[in-house]
Amino acid sequence: MTAVTTDTAGDTRRAGRYVYLASVTLLCAWVLVPLYFLLINTLSSPEAVNAFPKSFIPEFDLGSLTFFANFAGMLSALKNSILVAGVTMILSITISAPAGYALSRFDFPGKELFRLLILLTRAFPLPLLALPLAVMFIRTGLDDTVLGLALVHTTLAIPFAVLITFSLFSGIPVELEEAAWTLGCTRLTAFTKVVLPLILPGITASAIFAFVISWNEVFAAAVLTIENRTLTAFLLQNLDTSPLHLKFAGGFILVVPALIFIFAVRKYLFAMWGIANR
Amino acid sequence: MSFKIKLVGAVSALAVVASAAAVQAQVLFWSTQAKPVEEAQAMRENVLAGAGDVDYQPNDGGPWLTRLNAELQAGSGSIGVLGALHGDFSAMNPDDLVDLGGLGMSASDTFNSLAKLGTDNMQYIPWMQASYIMAANKEALQYLPDGADIDALTYDQLIEWTANVHKATGEAKFGFPAGPKGLKHRFFQGYLYPSYTDGVVRTFASDAAVTAWEKMRELWTHTNPASTNFSFMQEQLLSGDAWIVFDHTSRLAQAFNERPDDFVAFPAPAGPTGRGFMPVLAGVAIPRTAPDMDAAKALVQYMLKPETQIATLRTTNFFPVVDVDLPDDLPPAVKAAGNAVAKMSGSADANPGLLPAGLGAKGGEFSQLYTETFERIVLAGQDIRTVLDEHKPRLQAIMDESGAPCWAPDAASDGPCPVE
Repeated sequence: MTAVTTDTAGDTRRAGRYVYLASVTLLCAWVLVPLYFLLINTLSSPEAVNAFPKSFIPEFDLGSLTFFANFAGMLSALKNSILVAGVTMILSITISAPAGYALSRFDFPGKELFRLLILLTRAFPLPLLALPLAVMFIRTGLDDTVLGLALVHTTLAIPFAVLITFSLFSGIPVELEEAAWTLGCTRLTAFTKVVLPLILPGITASAIFAFVISWNEVFAAAVLTIENRTLTAFLLQNLDTSPLHLKFAGGFILVVPALIFIFAVRKYLFAMWGIANR
Repeated sequence: MSFKIKLVGAVSALAVVASAAAVQAQVLFWSTQAKPVEEAQAMRENVLAGAGDVDYQPNDGGPWLTRLNAELQAGSGSIGVLGALHGDFSAMNPDDLVDLGGLGMSASDTFNSLAKLGTDNMQYIPWMQASYIMAANKEALQYLPDGADIDALTYDQLIEWTANVHKATGEAKFGFPAGPKGLKHRFFQGYLYPSYTDGVVRTFASDAAVTAWEKMRELWTHTNPASTNFSFMQEQLLSGDAWIVFDHTSRLAQAFNERPDDFVAFPAPAGPTGRGFMPVLAGVAIPRTAPDMDAAKALVQYMLKPETQIATLRTTNFFPVVDVDLPDDLPPAVKAAGNAVAKMSGSADANPGLLPAGLGAKGGEFSQLYTETFERIVLAGQDIRTVLDEHKPRLQAIMDESGAPCWAPDAASDGPCPVE
C-alpha cells in the first residue's frame, strides 16, 4: 500500500512538473516566436516573405534592411527617439518620485482630489490635446524640439510613474525612516541612505515604463516634430501601406532598440519582482 | 542605470535643443500622398531631386491636419507646401490657403473649377489623379452584346454582357470588390448613384435610386458569389475567377503588369444621368503661414512640369493632370489604366462624382451606410424602398453632425447637405 501511495505522489509531482515546464515553454514561445518570425522575415527577400509555407531558417537577404539604411533621416530619427525617451524618463522620475513620496507619507487637504487629478491627465485623448499644444509650442518656440516633445510624453507617463512610486513608498514602513532619524539621520539622509536603496528597483521599473511610453507614442510626435522626428513618427505611420517585406523590416527596427534597453535594465526589473540580482 | 549616464543624456539633450533652434532654409512638403516608405523614398530621390532643397514628409491624415491647423492658429509655421486629396482641401477654410492663380493649371476644366473650392481663385493646384475603372479578360470580349462599344458601355449593356458570359460559361464571371477591404462603397457613391440619380446624398432615397438598386440586383445575379470575399480584383483577374471587374486603378495594376496581353481596361458604364465616375484628385497648395512664399510657389510650379508629372506617375501610379507625352517605357498597368481613365473623363456624358468631402471623422460611418444598404438590398434581398427610407434619417444625421455641404454631382447647399 505504501509503495502505491508513494507512486501516486510521485506521479502527481511528475505531472505537476510537466505542467510547469509546458507553461514555461508556452509563455516563452508566446513572446519569442513572433519575434523570431519578425527576424526571419526581416532577413528574407520580398519573394520569400510573400511565399507560403514559411521557411524557419532566414536566408540572410539584407535587401530590406539596406533599404532602411539608405532611407534618408533614419539615424537622426533614431537618435531623436532615444533622446526624447531619455529626457522623458528623467523628467517623469524627478517629478513623480517626490509626488509619490508625498502621497504616501503626508496627509494634506485635497489629497484624494490630487490623486484623481493625476489620473485625469490620461482621460483626454491625445488627438484632442495635440492641436492646442502644438499652437502653444509654436508660439513659445518649443515646437520641433526634443524638450517640447519630452514634456508631452512626460505628461503621459506621470500618472503611471506616480502610482508606481506611491505604492513603492507605501510598501516601506515609516518606522524604518523613524529609526534612521533617531540614529542621527536628517530627513534627507534617511531618505538617501535607507529608503532610496530599497525602492531603486521600483524606480527603475517606472523609468522603463516612461521610456516605453515615449518610445511608442506616434501622434504627438508626428504633430509636434518636423525636422527632429522620432523613429515612430518617422516610420510607423508610413508602414501600414508599405509592402510586406518592408513592414517586417520596419517593425524589426522599431522593436530592437526597445528590447536592448529592457535587456540592459532587466536586473532592476527582476529585483522589483523579488528575484535577487542575478 | 547610473546617474552619470542620466546626466550625460540630459546634457546632450540640451545640446540638441539648442541646435534645433537653427533655421533650416528648405521647403517642407507636408503630404498625405505617396505614403508607403518606398514611394516616399522615390519621391525624394527621383521626383524632387531637381526641386532644390525640399523636405518631403508624408503623414497620416490625422497628424497632417492637426499640425496644419496648429500652424494656422499660431499664425506662423514651417510647412511650405501641402499635398493632399481634394476632400482634404475642401474641408478647409479657403482663406487659409494662398491664392495660387497664375501658377499653372491642369488640362481639365472640371479639375480647375474644383480646385477653386467654391471661391473665384485657385485655392490649390491639381497635382495628380487616379480613378476606379473596369477591366476584363480578353476572353470575355467575344460575348459583348451586339453594337456595344466597350469604351462607351451602358449599365444595361454591362448587365447583358455579364449575362452572356454567364450563359456561355455556366459561371457568373462579373467580379465586384465586396470583400471586407474592398472599395465597394466607392462604386455606389461615385458610379451607381451619379449615373442613375445625378446625386449621392440629396437623391439617396429618390425613385431613381430605387431603379439604380434594381439594376445592381440584376448585375449581382451574374456576379461571382464569392465577391463578398474579394478586395483586390487583380487577384481574381489573374486567377480567372472573374472576367469582368471594377476596382481602383492601383488595385488592378498587378494583373496588367504580370500578363499585359490578357486583359483590357475600359471606362465605367453610363446610366440615364451620365457616365458617373469618381476621380481621385490630389492637389498641392500653400498655407498662408508658409515661411518662404517664393520657394513654396517655385515648388508648386515644379510639381506641374511635364517631366515631374511623369516621374510622379512612375513613383505613385497617379496620373498627370497636365498634357504630357507619356514615354513608351511605362509599366503596362500605367498605360492600360491611363487610357481608360482618359476616355472616361473625356467622354461627352462624363458625370464626375467626387470623393465624399467635409465629413471628417464621420467618413467611415458615411461609407458604412452605403455598404449596409448594399448588403440589405442586394445580399439579403430586402425591399428597396423600405431600406432606403429606413437609412434616410441616418444619412441626414451624419450630414447634420459633420455639417458637410453637398459635393458634386449633388447641387451645392448652404449648410449641411440635405437628404431629399
